[in-house]
Amino acid sequence: MTWIRGSWAILQKDLRLEMRSRYAVNMLLMFVLSSLLLIAFAVGQESVGERMQSALLWIVILFSASIGLGRSFVAEEERGTVLLLQLNVPGSQVFTGKLIFNFLLLLAVDLVALVVFALLLNMVIEDWLLLLFSLVLGSVGLAGATTLLAAIIARASNKGPLLPVLLFPLLVPLLLSVVRASRAALDGGLGLSRALPDLQIIGLFSGVVITAAVVLFEYVWYD
Amino acid sequence: MINLRRYTLIRNVILLWMSVVLCAAFLLGIPKINILEHTARNLYFHVPMWFTMMAAVFVSAYHSFQVLRSGDIVRDIRALQAARIGAFFGVLGLLTGIVWSKFTWYVGTDVWWNFDPRQSMVSLQLLIYGAYFVLRGALDDPSKRARIAAVYNLFAATTTPFLLYVIPRQMDSLHPGAEGNPAFSEITHPIMRLVFYPAIIGFIGMFWILYTQRVRMALIKHRVTHDPEL
Repeated sequence: MTWIRGSWAILQKDLRLEMRSRYAVNMLLMFVLSSLLLIAFAVGQESVGERMQSALLWIVILFSASIGLGRSFVAEEERGTVLLLQLNVPGSQVFTGKLIFNFLLLLAVDLVALVVFALLLNMVIEDWLLLLFSLVLGSVGLAGATTLLAAIIARASNKGPLLPVLLFPLLVPLLLSVVRASRAALDGGLGLSRALPDLQIIGLFSGVVITAAVVLFEYVWYD
Repeated sequence: MINLRRYTLIRNVILLWMSVVLCAAFLLGIPKINILEHTARNLYFHVPMWFTMMAAVFVSAYHSFQVLRSGDIVRDIRALQAARIGAFFGVLGLLTGIVWSKFTWYVGTDVWWNFDPRQSMVSLQLLIYGAYFVLRGALDDPSKRARIAAVYNLFAATTTPFLLYVIPRQMDSLHPGAEGNPAFSEITHPIMRLVFYPAIIGFIGMFWILYTQRVRMALIKHRVTHDPEL
């Protein structure tokens, strides 16, 4: 119970700070909107196939995650609150709170990206349930990997654009599976049975990544 | 301390072994295989390079694990050097593979890069090591660098096995043993295996020489820069 309470406290703290400044949400939304508009302008009038649609959608989500979620631990360092957190809350609870916060941010990104993308590129969604499922499940794995790497770059002296470099090679298995699953959702003929192995992989990947991240986080968080 | 005489002996045996393997690889006759012809000799180099890279990846991950367990800086040096040599053999294997496929299956076309599963996997492993080296460059304090780089190395090692399952479902393979391709044992003549297996041992021995030499060099450098008495 104390474990849940600690994670909840971290989550609440982050949500409250976010409510005050709205920095991360605004930046993520602006990034998603501008990159989607860029894609729409670059593609022009041409109709884009299902495979390309799901690939572009996920690349936008991946880039937004790598840019918007990197701040979660850097901000603690900048505010000088790291020591306070280390003293008051065990590491795994800090990680879980941050993970859930990042996951919620990603869900907002998913939602905006999906709606705007569907409007701009005339996306026809055949299987809503499958698409939502793959977006949510994919975001779990994405949030897990990004949260650990955000903690890693917070310890680096040169924080700049390190997160995308570290993140992208690790996420290729996830990207390949979610692109296939979302494509199956856009392409009516394929259906759930074709996408099931991909969903299993996404779930397994998310589980393994989060487990490894919780274990490894202790070594990053404490000196 | 290491026994220098024994080390020199083992090193010389490996060098002699490798020289014999090289001579045999170029001089021994091989059976005629369609399309491949004499490029089949690349089997003796290309495939052992992959195995060597795999061995280096395991050594690197093992020492990263030990860094987290003991915090020993020597383990970090070992993990880094294994990763560097692994990346080196990975690049060699990638290049020999690209050239091999270009002048056999893709001769007469403009195709250099193909989305073969193994080729994709090794390019990802190289990307991961590239990120690992970049991350190390961004960390100043040696003990912090050792720990954080080890975390990244191990985290990467937990995600890459998924590629073994995900990637082959998406792409066709040029390699033997994959779906629709003949198994390795069907296309290799016994005489090729006579060179092939010693070549694997020789290449892994080469890895061991390079690795131990580089670790010793890095250790000396570390002592010179960090030991206050020197």
